[in-house]
Amino acid sequence: MNETLNTPDLSVEIAGLRLRNPVMPASGCFGFGREYAEYYPLNRLGAVVTKAVTLRPRLGNPTPRVTETGAGMLNAIGLANPGVEHVLANELQWLAEQDVPVIVNVAGETKDEYVEVAGIISGSGLAAAVELNVSCPNVKAGGISFGTDPRILQDLVEAVRRVCTVPLFVKLSPNVTDIRRIALAARAGGAEALTLINTLIGMQIDIHRRRPVLANTVGGLSGPAIKPVAVRMVYEVAKVVDIPVIGMGGICSGTDAIEFVMAGAGAVMVGTANFTNPMACPQIIAEIDQFMLEHGIKSLTEIRGCIT
Amino acid sequence: MKVTVTDTAKIARETWQLAFTGSFPYDSVKPGQFVMIRIGSGMEHVLRRPISITAVSEDCLTIVFRVAGKGTKWLSERKPDDGLDVLGPLGKGFPLPPANAGTLIVGGGIGAPPLYLLAERARHLTERLDIVLGFRTAADCFWAEEFAGLGNLALATDDGSLGTKGTVIDAIKALPAERPEPSPNLKQWDYVYACGPLPMLKAVKRHFDGRSVRGYVSLEQRMACGVGACYGCVCQSSDKSATKRVCADGPVFDWNEVAL
Repeated sequence: MNETLNTPDLSVEIAGLRLRNPVMPASGCFGFGREYAEYYPLNRLGAVVTKAVTLRPRLGNPTPRVTETGAGMLNAIGLANPGVEHVLANELQWLAEQDVPVIVNVAGETKDEYVEVAGIISGSGLAAAVELNVSCPNVKAGGISFGTDPRILQDLVEAVRRVCTVPLFVKLSPNVTDIRRIALAARAGGAEALTLINTLIGMQIDIHRRRPVLANTVGGLSGPAIKPVAVRMVYEVAKVVDIPVIGMGGICSGTDAIEFVMAGAGAVMVGTANFTNPMACPQIIAEIDQFMLEHGIKSLTEIRGCIT
Repeated sequence: MKVTVTDTAKIARETWQLAFTGSFPYDSVKPGQFVMIRIGSGMEHVLRRPISITAVSEDCLTIVFRVAGKGTKWLSERKPDDGLDVLGPLGKGFPLPPANAGTLIVGGGIGAPPLYLLAERARHLTERLDIVLGFRTAADCFWAEEFAGLGNLALATDDGSLGTKGTVIDAIKALPAERPEPSPNLKQWDYVYACGPLPMLKAVKRHFDGRSVRGYVSLEQRMACGVGACYGCVCQSSDKSATKRVCADGPVFDWNEVAL
């Protein structure tokens, strides 16, 4: 039999974007790609997702900003980034030469700021898609407040949709009572794909010093510890929306990724695992390929959302 | 990189040394750089631990670390022939002093280890190499003989159980002001390097305020990625208008460049 006939096709289509494979780094866990380009060519990824970009530079929160927890970690970086102008000139220009779709994560403190940054990014021609960050738990203004109220979220997505000339993804927070309501609001506002989940708000206390470990007191929990929560939320959301869902939360292996696909994800993002192992994304891609080969799966659409 | 542990030993209170061999770019190591070591084999520990490099040969690297939590506890329990997953060398190291510079190296507690490799590389360049190490008490002191083999070593302990009773500043003040032949008229030190707790770094910098020395400090911070991607381990620039990543922009900084 011809070998090539059995070769799995890992490519996926998300909101009109053709990705080589379904694996992307999660925003905030990959900088703007430069550091990991030392480990492997970025064009092995389905796409690169940048760190959150805001209108003006943000220094972020005081340190400590990160700490390990059981099978996970807490972070409270606070959307530190050099601002949209610097990112365009220094990061997106460079990323455009890496032969990989670039999804730019956009954050803001006000609706106007989201609209302005998304307009600048999509107008630059350097982004394949914009991912709206309405779920950062670590900033006082903006971020998560847009992601927890369905009416405010729909209004924001509509406003961004009007200026955004590339596919618009909305990244959802798990820190809500019913994520389906938020997902439907984002969809109603014009989102073309949903990415979930962002981190769960958590806290760790240093009992010897009797104070929180993180300077910000609370932070976002990520890593394998949150995977079952994430799989459940992807499963719930994929059932109620008619747009692609990109799943994430504790993915460390190809089989973890397959679990999200079976729950209904059209693609996946890998966050914390990049820190454990800088080669995590390429290894996960290889493991997905291996799983598909072993199980005679030619395309991920065959198993996507197979759990009913 | 997968490496193999060759040797471990407890060398002071809560303090261990560990050497490994195997595939690692030993030749490229600069003093002040660090490695990120994966803890355990499953996904219980998602963050690697940053540990500074103490010594390196053509096929072996040695780290010295204090057991401060679960990760370093695990590391202290490694035995010869155990495998380790190590990333590195990472970060920017210490710029070496120019030829004939008078050099002072100041270490506090578990900040001392990266200064060993610095002293080893600097001693051939420098006319006068003073090394001042401070510990809480004699039970915390390690590698004193090794450091003494590289330069003029002075020790300080809080309780006076070893060396000067007091801080590293007290020990620095007690050092002779003159340089040995052939340059007795040159000033004591041109280059000062320090690694240790933040209050010590501040005190050393303050001690040299207004004197024309170049000062470098190595900073410590909780890290996640270790390669500059996550912005977890930042410090502030001296004017507090920007942040710098300890892992990728440091861990060594000119002491005028960062807010201590």
